[in-house]
Amino acid sequence: MKTMEEVLRDWEAVIGLEIHCELTELETKMFCGCKLEFGAEPNTHTCPVCLGLPGALPVPNKAAIESIVLAGLATNCDIEKHTMFYRKGYMYPDMAKNFQTTQGPKAFAMRGWLDLDVDGKGAEERLDVRDLEVGQQVEAATRTETGYTTHIGITRIHMEEDAGKMVHIGGGEGRIDGATHSLVDYNRAGTPLMELVTEPDLRTPEEARLFMQKLRQVYLSLGISDCSLEEGSMRADGNISLRRRGETEFGTRTEMKNINSFKALHDALAYEICRQAEVLEAGGTVVQETRHWDPGAKHTITMRVKETADDYRMFPDPDLAPYDLSDEFIEGVRAKLPELPDQKVARFQRVWGLSAYDARHVIEHRETASFFEVGMAEAGPDAEALAKPLANLIINDLAARRSADEAFDLASCPLTPARAVELVAIRASDAISSKQEKEVLEAVFAEDKDPAAIVEERGMKQVSDTGAIEAVVDAVLAANPDKVEEYRGGKTGLLGFFVGQCMKEMAGQGNPKLINQLLAEKLG
Amino acid sequence: MRSMAAFDYSALSVDAIRSGIAAKEFTAREVALAAIERIGAADAKVNAFLQTTPDMALAAADALDSAVSSGTFDEMGPLAGVPVAFKDNMNLLGTRTTCGSRMLENYDSAYTATCVQRIVDAGGLPMGKLNMDEFAFGSSTETSAFGTTKNPWDLERVPGGSSGGSAAAVASGMVHVTLGSDTGGSIRQPASFCGVIGIKPTYGLVSRYGVVAFGSSLDQVGPFARNVRDAALALNALVGHDPLDCTSQPCETDFTANLDEGVAGMRIGVVPEFMTAPGLEPEVGEAVLAAIQKLAAQGAEIVEVELPNAAAAMSAYYVIGPCEAFSNLSRFDSVRYGYRDPGHADLGSQYEASRAFGFGQEAQRRILLGSYLLSAGVYDTYYYPAQQVRTLITDDYRMAFGECDCILAPTSPRTAFKFGEITDPNTMHLSDIFTISINIAGNGGMSVPLGLSADSGLPASAQLICPWFKDENMLRVAAAIEREYGPAPIAPAFADGKVGA
Amino acid sequence: MTQHVTERDVRRMAEYARIGLADDDLPQMTEDLNNIIESLKPITEYDLEGVEPTFHPIGDLSNVMRDDVETPSFTQKEALANAPAAQDGSFLIPSILGGGDA
Repeated sequence: MKTMEEVLRDWEAVIGLEIHCELTELETKMFCGCKLEFGAEPNTHTCPVCLGLPGALPVPNKAAIESIVLAGLATNCDIEKHTMFYRKGYMYPDMAKNFQTTQGPKAFAMRGWLDLDVDGKGAEERLDVRDLEVGQQVEAATRTETGYTTHIGITRIHMEEDAGKMVHIGGGEGRIDGATHSLVDYNRAGTPLMELVTEPDLRTPEEARLFMQKLRQVYLSLGISDCSLEEGSMRADGNISLRRRGETEFGTRTEMKNINSFKALHDALAYEICRQAEVLEAGGTVVQETRHWDPGAKHTITMRVKETADDYRMFPDPDLAPYDLSDEFIEGVRAKLPELPDQKVARFQRVWGLSAYDARHVIEHRETASFFEVGMAEAGPDAEALAKPLANLIINDLAARRSADEAFDLASCPLTPARAVELVAIRASDAISSKQEKEVLEAVFAEDKDPAAIVEERGMKQVSDTGAIEAVVDAVLAANPDKVEEYRGGKTGLLGFFVGQCMKEMAGQGNPKLINQLLAEKLG
Repeated sequence: MRSMAAFDYSALSVDAIRSGIAAKEFTAREVALAAIERIGAADAKVNAFLQTTPDMALAAADALDSAVSSGTFDEMGPLAGVPVAFKDNMNLLGTRTTCGSRMLENYDSAYTATCVQRIVDAGGLPMGKLNMDEFAFGSSTETSAFGTTKNPWDLERVPGGSSGGSAAAVASGMVHVTLGSDTGGSIRQPASFCGVIGIKPTYGLVSRYGVVAFGSSLDQVGPFARNVRDAALALNALVGHDPLDCTSQPCETDFTANLDEGVAGMRIGVVPEFMTAPGLEPEVGEAVLAAIQKLAAQGAEIVEVELPNAAAAMSAYYVIGPCEAFSNLSRFDSVRYGYRDPGHADLGSQYEASRAFGFGQEAQRRILLGSYLLSAGVYDTYYYPAQQVRTLITDDYRMAFGECDCILAPTSPRTAFKFGEITDPNTMHLSDIFTISINIAGNGGMSVPLGLSADSGLPASAQLICPWFKDENMLRVAAAIEREYGPAPIAPAFADGKVGA
Repeated sequence: MTQHVTERDVRRMAEYARIGLADDDLPQMTEDLNNIIESLKPITEYDLEGVEPTFHPIGDLSNVMRDDVETPSFTQKEALANAPAAQDGSFLIPSILGGGDA
């Protein structure tokens, strides 16, 4: 199989996403008052409505409607005032009524968009943008200094209800094929679920990944969902087709359902790009089907071939009154809009002089954004000077910790924003080296003490006294006359050796900048 | 204590039962025991009950008698001590809710329907659950999986349907008030066949929560009774907003308030197309015309009104009803409750076998019809236009009610027919030609007895139709008709304490 | 009379509705459905240009919602009370794809 880069030279990928998100931050379900709780004993959060008992009727949760309007406003959608709930029929045991209550042609939120900033390695997937000049455009993408930005259309966000959960028994590893029986738990049935559908505007797996990530940031900032990919409260279906570069018609698409990690979304789409290209280049045709991404085997397999279009027998739900949302209702929701991720990035740039790249990464998580803000408040008059080093600490050190340890919790860890600011301030004054900064950081986590105290205890003050350093430099040069000779003979790579010797002499506390400077002078 | 056999509670009015208990002339327990005994004997002939709930009735009666002893009986509701019963598509905790179907033969109600609870809260003694056409699909109660119910006026005739058990239980004097549901005439037509009062209130007046749905935009619950005041008292107990039903609406009306006002000055509409409809039996038409004349004599102004699109109501109904039913009945899948055909290794064959056995012929016909009408391509040919026609019919009624306060029409084109007399589905569907348009438009309608018809000697009736949420208008006219014809009699074989011939 | 649906169509509708219609019942069911569909003709003959549909019978009812407040749920026992089969607190059903033994 060709690599994705090879494929994308000749082919353009057309990707659309359907992203489901449960409104986990609500108290109760979409159409009944059963409590929303993940992981409860099976069938302990059910009632006549969500069990689909005969005679039960749905009543919509107002907070869910407010949440989806909020989501629509936050993603630049038009809010449709006149909408209805529909019944979408399909017989499947996890859907208690054997129809899903969802929305019809009109959703609460329609015609929105999000802009994506793509940079770093991910930006290189977009071959048609890579060689552009900064500011130049192709389709919706504009080249920037660090990568490019692109504009992704949102078709709609509609309100619906989640299904129950099934456990398949008697087969291998809980899989449905080969199972002899299944167990059905309706605790999740009726959980308020928003489904966002994008336009087919995405062109690379990285764009798809970033879109989902950005949407997650937006939803998290709204406080409407925990957006947990692990627990399935946020999940994506990706559809993808290829077309020859320059072609405007769409190719036949395949769909991958219920993808539950950013990496899986990226990798599944990347695999499909390569697989479809192989099929097409061998003269075959892509079959319209649903495929399953197997993260272990790193490939997709056929789940279901679509022979005919699904016919869900949709019609307006007579049990639910239509909606005629007032301006007052919509404006009431708009007033609850918090600062959105894009606005936060702009503010961090404006107030503290962060680069767009740093600002985007600092606000990637709610807790890091607030960590940064509290830190900046602690920093007082030095805030602007310390912004960049604090951002670096968050983007590099804390991100590494988070990825190394799933249970890492910034809010309860020993490194408070005040300690982080103290640490970067000590470093900024050149009192310690960057290596020592790392050591102190480790010690803060290990010993739960203030950075200044650790620096004091360990006698870690960086030596920036030129006289003291000069004496060490002289001693090192005197002890290694042969190496000095070699250096002067052109082996300038030995500079590192001399720096190392000096640092060793000074127990790592010498200011490396000064050591370098003095060595360079003396070796002249 | 007097002998049970001698205590003919069935002849008493609702008010008389309540005041009799209050005055300690008899106890609620005596009423309950008498009703249990009477139902035991009379229902052997009528087969209106699918199950009886003597323990529930006695417990309710004892609570009322305690209230008498403790001096708090005044706080008891208007139906205190009145034997009542419910169509078997209404959930009542402690009973089965079968919908007359094998599908739900063993289904235990997991909660209580709002309408049932309100009747119980008003003091009614719950005597049991009543037979019906399977899932309310029918006009004769012959599609019940648990046997037919007999018309108390002639045991060889059908009681009408689908709420046939509810009508027959009242007509035979077993209970005073029953609840039925009406999707296209299922309260009014059996009320007509059995010669009792049956009210289908304006859509939204009574909560549908807990009533197994047939056509959600058409279904409405209402009471059966033998006199207008009893029916009005039951309606008072039933109405009012229910937070569990999005389509239910608030109501502050006291439906007994204007029963004595008479019809002088009221404008009563007559629809010429209805009076000349093909299939309307002359004896029924004549009875309705006689009633119109009597109301005119009482001072009502009779006006002709047009319902130009009413003729299309039948077609619209047989689109909308089956579509909603198809969807509503998809939940009966053998997974959470209901009939499960044994021995299937895969869910698909279990679904198909369970639903093939669990649903009877008429239910299957309507489900398949709905499945067809909602399918891609067909939807735009029938379903969408049917809902547009609904707009036209609704507008017709709105226009008509600009000119009158209440419409008077036949309820059914004929009197009760014999078992097996009508087997063709389309002919059976014609039983509802005068009632269906009211469900399509959502207005209130009721059937009022007009004595016995000239030829057959069977009960004749008229239908009253009211503007949205003006149900008191039709009750007022019904009271005026009752002054002419008297309250509905108990069918002769069951009158004066008799329990059938 | 127009043949609106064939036996094959009825078979398909039954499959969609998950009703295992017996072969013997198919001809009668097909005839009945054709008769009923024929009776729906008036709907197709109307000029409905510009007429809004009425999906909900009482027109001005809208925005009916409840507050996000918890109400009591069933216990697990109550939830499973009518279950034809249950195991480990869940509803038990045979294999969804088939392949298990009865």
